[in-house]
Amino acid sequence: MPRLIDLVRIAGRRLVVPLLGYPGAQLTCSSLKQNEFNPVLHCESICRLVDRFSPDAAFFMMDLSVEAGALGLPVRYPLYESPTVEEHPVRSLADLEAFKVLDPLDDALVQARIRAMELMKERLDVPRGGYVIGPFTLAGLLMGASELAMATITDPDLVHGVVGFCTDVCVRYARALAAAGADMIAILEPTATFLSPQAFDTFCGAYIRGLITEVTGNPGMTGAAPAGDVAGGTDATGGRAGAGARTATGTTDAADKADAAGVRNGSESAGIERTTGATGSASRANAPDIAGPRRADAMTPMMILHICGDTSHLVRNMCATGAHGLSLDSPVDFARAAREADPEVVLIGNVDPVGVMVQETPDGVRRAVRALLDMMEPYENFILSTGCDLPYETPFENIDAFMKEGRL
Amino acid sequence: MFDFAEMKAALEHGKAAQVKEFAEKALAEGVGAEEILNEGLIAAMAVVGEKFKKNEVYVPEVLVAARAMYAGLDVLRPLLAKSGVKKAGKLVIGTVKGDLHDIGKNLVKMMFEGAGYEVVDLGTDVSPAKFVDAVRSERPDFLGMSALLTTTMPSMKSTIEALKDAGLRNHVKVLVGGAPVTSKYASEIGADGYAPDASSAVDVAKELVKGK
Ligand code: B1M
Repeated sequence: MPRLIDLVRIAGRRLVVPLLGYPGAQLTCSSLKQNEFNPVLHCESICRLVDRFSPDAAFFMMDLSVEAGALGLPVRYPLYESPTVEEHPVRSLADLEAFKVLDPLDDALVQARIRAMELMKERLDVPRGGYVIGPFTLAGLLMGASELAMATITDPDLVHGVVGFCTDVCVRYARALAAAGADMIAILEPTATFLSPQAFDTFCGAYIRGLITEVTGNPGMTGAAPAGDVAGGTDATGGRAGAGARTATGTTDAADKADAAGVRNGSESAGIERTTGATGSASRANAPDIAGPRRADAMTPMMILHICGDTSHLVRNMCATGAHGLSLDSPVDFARAAREADPEVVLIGNVDPVGVMVQETPDGVRRAVRALLDMMEPYENFILSTGCDLPYETPFENIDAFMKEGRL
Repeated sequence: MFDFAEMKAALEHGKAAQVKEFAEKALAEGVGAEEILNEGLIAAMAVVGEKFKKNEVYVPEVLVAARAMYAGLDVLRPLLAKSGVKKAGKLVIGTVKGDLHDIGKNLVKMMFEGAGYEVVDLGTDVSPAKFVDAVRSERPDFLGMSALLTTTMPSMKSTIEALKDAGLRNHVKVLVGGAPVTSKYASEIGADGYAPDASSAVDVAKELVKGK
């Protein structure tokens, strides 16, 4: 299985991967809402970003509502802002039952995302990244974040039940993204930022670990023996999600279907050379030769854990989830994080997406990038990125400055 | 003499049922409602706020402690109302339009309640018009606005403008906060106060009406 650290080593230089997504809508003169609903447009926006800025990997647009929407929660889609979930109705394990009959993969917007990833696979020759919400954050959308926070103390069984159920949903979607061609999947877990390290391990980390094991068939960077090649579709039972913690059951059928899909797509894509877009665009002469390990095992994505906000107190715990990379936000001191993190886990970040990337001048961006690169000079396990997704309105001259300084 | 130590410990650990029992027991022993409020509830909540500031406890612990505080308040409220104990003041609070982040706002609300204020919570995604209506009908001493998104911060300014247009700006002290908000921004938009965290927000509010 390819690991992110291998990709970093093979590159032989700093990889530069700002979390671009939304600004791509500027290049296709479209609204964010259009990109949510139209996978061809979504892929086009991302391909144009790759053409314009030549990042070393390309993620699609960040979205924390797609999984909750697929479960039936009401979602609002503003034209130029990210969609948001408007109601959080779950109060008991009984309330969860209503959600278990749904297969999230049947949802039109989930399908649109999967399709966007398939198209990105056809057109991009840099590693492609997708996002899946983290189980704790999805639980926060189901229950309300404050309710969930309190329940970690007052009703741990409820939290385990809901987060376990959410893990199954996340596994199912992540596998589908992997089958569609995602080389990397970043798990977005912002709501975990306010947990103590101990509560993180119990209510979030254990489930992330299960998710990673289920999607990659391997407990990841810091795990024990691999649990079998789940992603290749040969082992559907290799440990339930959230191994070591209690999980909800009830989506087994769904998971089996996902495996079947994995097998089908897997055999179709195995050995097929990646094509670039019709224009031959979206390819780069100086792309690091990182395609090798991926082709050998194209179905197993590299797993990244992203938490926004100040996660300084959680770095070690995040490493213990088995994630190949941690994408950390601008409040985190990266040198300190590097001292604490497992050196085989890649730290990804952390230029301020708003304070610097939107509000600074290109010179300011250059200074911030330089300071970060200098500070991270002693550490191999580092990818230059932004602390979080860049807003739609990020000035292009600032992204140019970021890329240029990052490649100096 | 009623020993508040156990009651305070119960509140700090978020034991709602115990706090309620201690409040009832104290009343039965003849302790005044106001004393229980100050010595039992407010004092304990202040400790929780301090620990949160120092990262000794995290958001879930604070929320649960606040819930325990409410359990105690419920016991005292009828008596406090009857005895006409003066509230420390009144706050109307909400997260601004377009913004659904509510954890920080909830903490601020709880700290104010914990400090003896009456709080009206307008929830999230609150438009300037809704803030203005609430100021008109509730007549609060303070209006608190929370914003977590850079894109929603300007709504704080719009609300202050709307208060001016409604002729209500001088009737209320405006407090703002939230991760991207700074004290510089607060003064630029004409807010009266800014606080970086929930327990300082109470201090700032007290400071604003000092000597009044
Ligand atoms: C009245 O006077 C006062 C005084 C003090 C006041 C005050 C008022 N209000 C707060 N305070 C102060 O006291 C509190 C306690 O001491 C403090 O409150 P805080 O709220 O700061 O702190 C809380 C106790 C704990 N902190 C939090 O609760 C926020 C944590 C982070 C990780 C966060 C979370 C959890 C969430 N998010 Co959101 N989220 C982030 C956050 C990262 C960060 N750096 O803050 C932030 C705020 N989110 C962001 C984004 C972009 C988004 N989020 C979104 C969604 C969510 C979740 C639903 C997943 C969840 C919210 C759950 C909820 N119900 O609140 C989306 C928008 C939704 C919307 N329309 O509102 C979405 C757009 C993501 C997306 N792509 O969909 C970023 C904003 C960037 C920016 N500067 O504009 C962000 C900084 C993360 C990042 N780095 O990108 C102080 O600020």
